[in-house]
Amino acid sequence: MRYGDFTPFDIVLLLQGLGVSLALFVSTTLIGLVIGTAWAVIRFYRVPVLMQAVTFVAELLKNSPVLVQLFLVFFGLPAFLKINVTPTEAALITLSGNSAAFIYVIAVSAIESVGRDQIEAARVFGLTRWQILRRVIAPQATAFAIGPLTGLLVNQLQVTSLISVIGVMDLTKVGNILNLRTLKPFLVWTAVGLLYYLTAKLVTYAGARFEKRLRAHTAWKGL
Amino acid sequence: MISITGLRKSFGAATVLNGIDLEIRQGEVVSVLGSSGSGKSTLIRCINGLEKIDAGKITVDGFDVSKPRELSEARKRSGTVFQLFNLYPHMTAVQNVALAPIEVLKVPRKQAEAEARELLHSVGLTERADAYPSQLSGGQRQRVGICRALAMKPSYLLLDEVTSALDPEMTSEVLSILAALAKTGTTMVFVTHEIEFARSISSRIAFLDKGQLIADLPTEEFFSATGMALPRVAQFLSKMRKD
Repeated sequence: MRYGDFTPFDIVLLLQGLGVSLALFVSTTLIGLVIGTAWAVIRFYRVPVLMQAVTFVAELLKNSPVLVQLFLVFFGLPAFLKINVTPTEAALITLSGNSAAFIYVIAVSAIESVGRDQIEAARVFGLTRWQILRRVIAPQATAFAIGPLTGLLVNQLQVTSLISVIGVMDLTKVGNILNLRTLKPFLVWTAVGLLYYLTAKLVTYAGARFEKRLRAHTAWKGL
Repeated sequence: MISITGLRKSFGAATVLNGIDLEIRQGEVVSVLGSSGSGKSTLIRCINGLEKIDAGKITVDGFDVSKPRELSEARKRSGTVFQLFNLYPHMTAVQNVALAPIEVLKVPRKQAEAEARELLHSVGLTERADAYPSQLSGGQRQRVGICRALAMKPSYLLLDEVTSALDPEMTSEVLSILAALAKTGTTMVFVTHEIEFARSISSRIAFLDKGQLIADLPTEEFFSATGMALPRVAQFLSKMRKD
């Protein structure tokens, strides 16, 4: 066996890379969901100052490349604050912030999609702003948001591949290593691409199922 | 008692209500008539606090609706039924009716839903209690809307053109429920275009024209010589009867 040949262990290596990518994807999505939704709630309550701050930060995160943000966190922050940032921490911070910004946009439009008339009805019957948000707006906004959110998450899954640049051992980094060792780029990148593809399909499938369940009340079955 | 004094409301340059004085006592059914754009719906929306009033005062059982602290008390005393039903589409009929009692009055869910079922039963919706609004006809939706208002056990029922979005058959099914409610002594402020029906259930008629209350008369007086003596009322009634 030549040094450059594929070995069964390579499959384990690929799966390990996939595991790292998935772990980062899931954790940054969850953090992004919490932060992005919280920002949307701040906007819903029109909290002064905080609301403007949120809009400003979200705009910054949305309108600059993730790779630049990643470099800023990984190289810039340690230099500026004299702290130590590991590649994983940098990836976690950057991707969470980026997801949060886009989830914020989706959450805001989802909240605004709920008809004013229902909100007026709820107000008239004495429900508080929080009760209206929780019982009337949230269930419908969630159903509305699942579509755009699935689209965003499929994209964010691909974006995780950027973190290989700063040395996180994710799927793309493993692909890079295998490629350099075997010098069979077509095989390696096909396998890596296929793994991303399958994961993205899984995300889409889960989103569609969840949406179907949340929309059980509407007669609308699509065109 | 709902007491309105010197009520003024404008949207930008358009004055919609221009100095309204009106009192609605417990047990009365007051129909508010007037052509489109005369300010009828806005009057209802001022009473339940959906619109901020520009001048004057509205109190519901003494609670001033323009003071945020008193508004919630005022709202507990009045129930609104909307022209376009305004149901929550993600909730079944029962859930629509039980939501406010559970959240605002803190009634236990089981009890609130049992009471909601009873209300729906009383308007002939026993079979449709677990249907979503999108699965109901317009008349059925409005009956749910009425139950939702009644579930809060309001002292006053505010009805904002509740049959305007319904065809004649559905209108009659909703009106028969309102007639039954009027008989039980429910206090109602009834904004409507259904002149004949208003005549049959109201104790008083208030007539709005261009944001002013130009008549506030006992029903039969309104439809007799006293009302006809007012040119605007005579014109309105003759037009509506021709249609």
